[in-house]
Amino acid sequence: MNKDRLTTLSFFLSPMIVMVLLFYLVPLVMTVYISFTQMRNWNVSKYLTEFVGFYNYHRLFYMFQHDPTFKAVLLTTVVFVAITLVINVFGGLTLALATFFIDERPASAFRLLWLLPRMSPIAVYSLVWYYFFHGSEIGTLNSILMKLGVISQPIPWGQIVPWGAWSIIIFVNGLVGVSFGMIVFTSALNQIPKELVIAARVDGASSWQISRRILIPMVKWHFMYVLTWQFLSLLTTYPHLFLLVQWDLVNGDYGTTLALYVFNTAFGMGEQDQGLAAAAAVLLSIIGIIGGFVTLKVLQFEKMMKRPRGDF
Amino acid sequence: MKMKSIWIVALVFLGAIASGCISGGGGTQTSSATVQLTGDFTKDAVSIGKVLEQKGINEVKFSAWGSGDPNSVMRVYGIVEAARRINRIWQKNGVKVKIVVTETHYVASFQDAYKEYLSKQPLGQAGDFFVNSYAFLPTLADEGYILDITDYAKAYQSVINDFYPSLIDASKFKGRLYGLPQDTEARPLYIRKDVAAKIGFNLNGLDEKVKNGEFTWSDVYYWAKKAKESGAAEWGLIHRKGSAHPDLIQFIFAFGGKLYDPNTGKLVVDVPAVYKWLYVEWKFARDGLLPEDIMSWDWAKQIHPTIVEGKTLFDIGGTWYWTEWQTKQYYHGRGLKPEEVKKWFYYTLFPAGEKGDKPVTLSQPFVWMINSKAGQQNPKYDELKNIYHELAFLMLIKASDPDINAIHSVISAHLPVRKEAAKLIKDEKWLNDLKNLNLDLDPTVKDNIKDIVKATVNPINAQFLANVSYMLEYTHLAPAHPKYPALADIFKEAVDKVLRNEMTPKDAVDYIIQKVKADPELAKNVEITGEIPKNWKFPQQ
Amino acid sequence: MRDVETRPRRYSRIIILAILLASLPLIIGFTLLVLSSFSTDMVTNLNPSSFHPTIENWINVFHGKLATTGGIRANILRITLNTLIVALGVAGVVTGISALAGYSLSRINFRGRKHMMVLLLILHAFPGVALIVGVYLLYRLTFPQTSDFVRLYSFVYVIFARAALEIPMSVWLMKGFFDTIPWEFEWSGIIDGASRIKVWRKIMLPLIKPGILAVALFAFLAGWQDIIYVRTFLIDQTLATFIEANIEAEFSHMPLIAAAGTLYLLPTIIFFITAQQILLQGYSGGIKG
Repeated sequence: MNKDRLTTLSFFLSPMIVMVLLFYLVPLVMTVYISFTQMRNWNVSKYLTEFVGFYNYHRLFYMFQHDPTFKAVLLTTVVFVAITLVINVFGGLTLALATFFIDERPASAFRLLWLLPRMSPIAVYSLVWYYFFHGSEIGTLNSILMKLGVISQPIPWGQIVPWGAWSIIIFVNGLVGVSFGMIVFTSALNQIPKELVIAARVDGASSWQISRRILIPMVKWHFMYVLTWQFLSLLTTYPHLFLLVQWDLVNGDYGTTLALYVFNTAFGMGEQDQGLAAAAAVLLSIIGIIGGFVTLKVLQFEKMMKRPRGDF
Repeated sequence: MKMKSIWIVALVFLGAIASGCISGGGGTQTSSATVQLTGDFTKDAVSIGKVLEQKGINEVKFSAWGSGDPNSVMRVYGIVEAARRINRIWQKNGVKVKIVVTETHYVASFQDAYKEYLSKQPLGQAGDFFVNSYAFLPTLADEGYILDITDYAKAYQSVINDFYPSLIDASKFKGRLYGLPQDTEARPLYIRKDVAAKIGFNLNGLDEKVKNGEFTWSDVYYWAKKAKESGAAEWGLIHRKGSAHPDLIQFIFAFGGKLYDPNTGKLVVDVPAVYKWLYVEWKFARDGLLPEDIMSWDWAKQIHPTIVEGKTLFDIGGTWYWTEWQTKQYYHGRGLKPEEVKKWFYYTLFPAGEKGDKPVTLSQPFVWMINSKAGQQNPKYDELKNIYHELAFLMLIKASDPDINAIHSVISAHLPVRKEAAKLIKDEKWLNDLKNLNLDLDPTVKDNIKDIVKATVNPINAQFLANVSYMLEYTHLAPAHPKYPALADIFKEAVDKVLRNEMTPKDAVDYIIQKVKADPELAKNVEITGEIPKNWKFPQQ
Repeated sequence: MRDVETRPRRYSRIIILAILLASLPLIIGFTLLVLSSFSTDMVTNLNPSSFHPTIENWINVFHGKLATTGGIRANILRITLNTLIVALGVAGVVTGISALAGYSLSRINFRGRKHMMVLLLILHAFPGVALIVGVYLLYRLTFPQTSDFVRLYSFVYVIFARAALEIPMSVWLMKGFFDTIPWEFEWSGIIDGASRIKVWRKIMLPLIKPGILAVALFAFLAGWQDIIYVRTFLIDQTLATFIEANIEAEFSHMPLIAAAGTLYLLPTIIFFITAQQILLQGYSGGIKG
C-alpha cells in the first residue's frame, strides 16, 4: 500500500478503529475473561484474579436443564424473536412505503408518532402498556371492549398462557422495533432518484406496482441490514420486557425470553453477578453470531459485499 | 494482517489493564493522624476539629445518599442536621472548621440506590453516608465498601445501648458493627371496624387475643368468610401484590417455621411452614375471600381503594399505610382524614398460624452506613483518613439523636429505633412543637419538611405510632443473605400459581424445591427441611 | 422525497386511514399518558370519573420533585441539560465516525475490508450490559486524580463509551447509503484533482443527508435513553436515570411519572423535527448537482 493511500485510509478509519478497540474489543476480551471468574458487585480487585473455570457456564447449563420453567422460556424466545422480527422488518417497510405515498405533513406526523415508543423512557413506556393491557376493569383495552359490548367481564390478557402473554410482549417490543426499520427504509427511499418514480407514474403505474418494481428492489440491501441487526438485537434485548414481567402484567414463564431469564438471574436478585452475566452474554452472542451468519448466507451477503467500484 | 495486529494490541492492552488492577491494591503506609474517642461528644468533636484546623482544613465536605418513600427524607436531612449541630459545637468552642453537606441524593427505589452505590463506590464517587436496607449490609461489609465502626462505637456504648437490640444485630456483620439503625416499621393486620360491626365481630381486646396466640388464622378465615357471605364486604382478605417478601413471608414465621439457619449460614425452606402458608392462601382464594389475581392488582387503583372504601374486612399491610391513606387520594379522589382512619381501622399483630404458634410481624430496618472511603472529597485524605472517618462516625451518632429519629418516625410513619426517641413521640408538648415546626433544626431542612409535617403530624397519627411500637417485640427480620432475594422470588411465583389455582399447594411446594435445586449456586445456599404434614386441615375448628 | 402530483387523491386518503387505524393503540396509550399527567389519578380506562384535572404534577416536575408531599427537589433543568449533553455528544461522535468509516468501506478496497465488516457485525451481537465490566475497568484505570476534572471526564467517557456501542450498526448503515450513490459523482471530483477527503466532504456528505439523519437520530436516542452506562459512569443524573430511579410501584405517584415521561419526550421530538428540517430541507435526492 502506498503512503498516500495509507494516510487516506487512516483518516477515514482510525477513529472507528480506536473506538472499537477501546470500548468494544478490549472490553469484549475482558468479558470473556470475566465469565471465567466469580466477579460480582463491581469488586474488581477482589474477584479479578479468582479464576473459576467454567463454573458460570456450568451453572447456566444446569439451570437450563433443571429449571421447570426453562422450556417455556425457550419457546417464548423462539416465538418472540421470530414474530417480532417479521413485524419489525415488514412493519417498518410498510410504514416507510405508506408514508412515502402521502403528503409530507401527515407522513412526518405519523413517523413521529411511531417513533414515540423508541423515544420514551422505558419505564414510562412500560407503564403505558401496563395500564393498557391490565387484566382488570382498570385496563384500557378491557374498558374499551366492555364499552363496545364485545366482552362483559375484563380479560386478564397477560395471563392467558401462552398466546396472551406472547402477544403482549411481541406487541410492546414490536412497536419499538418497527421505528428502526421505518427510519432506515424511509431514508433509503429518499435516496432513490425521483425520475424513476415520475417516469413510472407517467406510464400509469399504481403505487403498488411502483413499490414492487422500483422501490422494494432498491432497498434490498437495507432490508438485509435491518433483518440482520434486528435479529441480533432481539436476541439480547431485555429492558422492554423486564418491567412487564416485574409488574405482573404478563405471566412470568411466558413473558420471559432467554435474555431476560439470564440477566434476571445475574442482576435482578439484589446481587450484581457480573461473572454470570458475562457468561450469559457470551452464550447469547454465540447464538446470535451463528444466526447472523445463517441470515447473511441465505440473503446472499457475498453478492452485497461486492467490490467497491470507486477504488483504483 | 490488520486483524492480527488488532488482536495483538488488544491482548497487550488487556494484560496491562489486568496487571494494573491487580497491583492497584497495595499502597505505601503513611502515618495518619487519629483521635482517641472518649464518649464525651463535645470533647471528641472539638478534638477532631482542632486536628483539622491544625492541618489547615477549614471545610469538610460530605455527601449523603438515601432512598425510600418521599416522606422519609430525613434519611438524608438527618445528616444535614447532624452537620449543623457539630458546626454549632465547633463555633461555640472556637474551632474554625465547618462541615458542608455537598449533596443530598435521594431516590425512590432503594434497590436502585444500592446498585448505584455498588458501582460508584470503588470509583470513589459514592456518597460518604449511605442509608439503605439492612439486607444489603452484609454484602457491602464483605466487599469492604462500608466502614467497620465497632472500635469507634466502644466509646459510645451508652448511645448504642439505647437502640433496640435486634436492630443493632441487624447492623452487624460477623460480629462487627457496620452502621447504626435509622428506622424500622411493622406490618400490622388491619381490620375494618365498620365491616366487623356488621357481622358481629367484636374487636374489643382482640389485640390481646392475637398476642397470646388465641386468635389464629383459622379465626381470620372464619370472620373473612362471614363478612363475604353476609355481603358486608366484597372480600375477606387483601394483601400486597407483586412479591412474597416481605408481607407474606410472615406466614412462615407465624407457622413456627424459619428462613435461616444461623449455624450453617444457609437459607432454609421450611417445608411444613411453607406448605401451610401456601395452603392458607390457596384456601382463601378458592372460597372467594382473597382475589385470585391479587398479585397483579394495581396499588393505587385497586389495592388501596379497596381497603379504604371498606370493601375488605382484613388487610395485611404496613404501619406506613396509616399516613399514606391520608396523603394520597385513594378514597373517591381524596385522602382520608386522620379521624376517619382511626374510626375505621383496627390493627393487630400478624396472627399465629395455628394454636401453639406465636403472632409475628416483620421489619425491614434501614441502617446508616459510612462509606469506607468517607471524606475522600477533602484535602490530605491519606493523612487524615482516620480523622475523617471518626468525624463521620460522630455525625452518625448525632444523626441518631432522639429528636431527629423521632421527627423522622412521626413524619414518615416509621417506628423509632431507640428508646429515647420512643419516649419523645409520646410527649404531647414535643409533638405540638413539631407541628408548629418549633424545633432546633437546620432552616433548609425545616423548609423542606414543612409540607410533610403539615400533612402527617397530628395526635392521632402519633398515637398510632406509639400504639404499634409494641409490635417490635414480636418482630422478625428476613435473612440478610445475598441469595435471599432469589428465594423470595421463587416463593412469589409459587404463591401466584396457587392463588390462580394453577397448582395445588402440594405441587407448589414441589415446584419451589425444584426451582431451588435448579440453580446450583442457590441450591448450595439453601437447606430444605421437613416434609408436608399429613392430615393437616385448615381451617381448624 | 415526495411523490408527484399525478398521484390520485383518493389513494392518499385510504392510506392515511389505514395507518391511523394501525396506530390506534399507540395514539390511545400515549394520549391517556399525557392526560394522566394533568390529573390527580391515572386515567387508564374510559371512565371519566377518574380524571381529576390539576396542574400540580407539572409544577412538581418543574421543581424536580417526583413526589406530591416530601421528596427532595432535584435540579430538573440541570438534569435535562446533562441528558442533552450526553445525547448530542453521542449523536455527534457516532455520526462523525460512521460517516468517515462508512465511506472508506464503501469506496476503498483494502485488505481486510470484508473481515472488518464481519467483525463489526459480530460485535453488535454483544449487548452493552455484557461489555460494561471491561469498560468499567478502563474507566477506573484512566480516572483523573484531581477532583476538578472528574465530572468532565465522566461526561466525556460516557459519551464515547456509549457512542462506541452504536458504531457497528451506524457504520454499516452509512456504508449502505454510500453504496447507493452512483460512482459518477466522485469521479468528476477526483478528475478535477480533489483528494479523497475533499470529495468525501464536499460531494458525498451532502448526498447522504437522509442517511446522516437516520444515524444521528438513532444515536441521539441511544444517548438520551441510556440508563446502564449513565448510571454506572456518570456522576450526575440524566432524565432517564432520574425517572427510573424514582418509579417505585408501591408508592410512586404515577401521574407525576406520566408528567415526567411527557417532559422527557419533548426534547427528542424537537430534535427529530429540527434534524429533519436541517437535513432534508431542499434535498432533492439523487438529482445531479
